Amino acid sequence: MDSTSGLHLMDQRTDQILARRTKRQRNWGLCAAVLFALVIWSIDVTVVQDTDWERIGSLGEVLESAGQFAGVDWTLFPDLLGPTLETLLIACLGTALGVILCVPATWFGAMNITPFKPVTYPIARLMMTLSRSIHEIVWALFFVAVFGLGAMAGVFAIAMRSIGFIAKMSAEAIEDIDPGPVEAMRAAGANSFQVLLYAILPQVLPQVAGVVIFEWEINIRRSAVLGLVGAGGLGLVFFRQLNTFNFHGVTSVILAILVIIFLGEAVSHAVRRRMI
Amino acid sequence: MAVLEVRDLHARYSARGPEILKGISFDVEGDDFFAIIGPSGAGKSTLIRCINRLVDPTSGTVKFNGREVTTLSSRDLRLVRRDIGMIFQEFNLIDRMSVMDNVLSGRLGYTGNLRTLFRMFPRKDIDHALHLLDRVGLSDHVDKRADELSGGQRQRVGIARALMQDPKLMLLDEPTSALDPKISREIMALIKEMAEELNVPCLCNIHDVKLAMEFCNKMIGLQDGMTMFAGPTADMNEAKLDEIYAMEVL
Repeated sequence: MDSTSGLHLMDQRTDQILARRTKRQRNWGLCAAVLFALVIWSIDVTVVQDTDWERIGSLGEVLESAGQFAGVDWTLFPDLLGPTLETLLIACLGTALGVILCVPATWFGAMNITPFKPVTYPIARLMMTLSRSIHEIVWALFFVAVFGLGAMAGVFAIAMRSIGFIAKMSAEAIEDIDPGPVEAMRAAGANSFQVLLYAILPQVLPQVAGVVIFEWEINIRRSAVLGLVGAGGLGLVFFRQLNTFNFHGVTSVILAILVIIFLGEAVSHAVRRRMI
Repeated sequence: MAVLEVRDLHARYSARGPEILKGISFDVEGDDFFAIIGPSGAGKSTLIRCINRLVDPTSGTVKFNGREVTTLSSRDLRLVRRDIGMIFQEFNLIDRMSVMDNVLSGRLGYTGNLRTLFRMFPRKDIDHALHLLDRVGLSDHVDKRADELSGGQRQRVGIARALMQDPKLMLLDEPTSALDPKISREIMALIKEMAEELNVPCLCNIHDVKLAMEFCNKMIGLQDGMTMFAGPTADMNEAKLDEIYAMEVL
């Protein structure tokens, strides 16, 4: 090949590559500029325009407002005992009810055991998504409307909110089992129920138990705020303290919530470590 | 009369997939230890699973003690399955259950749902399980969890579980492939001894030709879903083996 034409070809190739690189850089620059404009716009709308700057006042006044919460209303603690216990119980009962309610969702939602895939599998996915995409406060509002004020609404709200996660994780655990024991039990003449009991459950039980305990721990956090909408527990006391401007009382409630959350974490950690 | 009569069996896993079995026929008599040999992918596992319909054949007949298996309802199929013990390559034990519970699971076909739920097996089942565990040499491991045992011991549990069914036929799917040569021979000897003692014919997938020649009285050789040899083990020779396994190097 002629060496000059070879060089020429090389030049062309370099030009092509350079052009492509410049174009890519320009696109990135454009994207960054648009993103930056969006961020500025959202700060303007949500923070600058939407805040009552008169009410905030100077930095000193901001600190003073926050400072109102520094301090604990010790006299409130005897009254917190009942609601704290109630919050814990809402979490426990809610999780237990959630476990029962998620049995059909798990059964329908595991690809390898779902009874009639084109119908039952989508139903299960819908149940899981519905449970998780509706916030526990919204569930609580719904059940307060259904059952009236009180802990029962809280228990149902927690249960409904728990179904999604427990069912999804359990269904996935079932999909991942070793099919060998299933085959062995079927070969021995076992029916579907016996296969479930002997070949599937023992394989997924540790995983499912871990998921349930994890969900219980989260449910303690959730049940602590449900009282804000009248579904029982510590949230109700929190709401009352805030409404009566007893800011030290608010701090007391927060402390109580922290205590049961730590308790939940400790129990969860200990149980899960023992299971593994 | 033959315990098992297989005629012109065809199988494929999906309508457009390749045909795995292309017309297999053979008989297993009451005192046979019948080997199915052949290279990987020849269709041995599919063939043995068509007998108890873990895989449904696409056509052909399987007669077990004179009864057609391929057309049975799921309820009748379970009743037939409990008469057919099966031993697996990977043992297929329930790891998190005790050796005793694993052996008792061989009785599930005879046990109601409520009893299954509470694992309430009758006294005679537990007696029988203890006796079998003693026979397979595991009387010291009754209460251990299945996943605490070695490979050879796990297969012994598999043997006890299959015998727990009081089977009229045993299906062995590569019972020794996951074991070392010495243990393999012990396991084959144990299966053969128990089968002779209890008068149960065996149908055995086996990759290891030497073991097959040593333990089995009849065999068929499969290659790509077709029968390349059928007859008594004594008629098998080096040339025929070479022909059956010719494709394996590919």
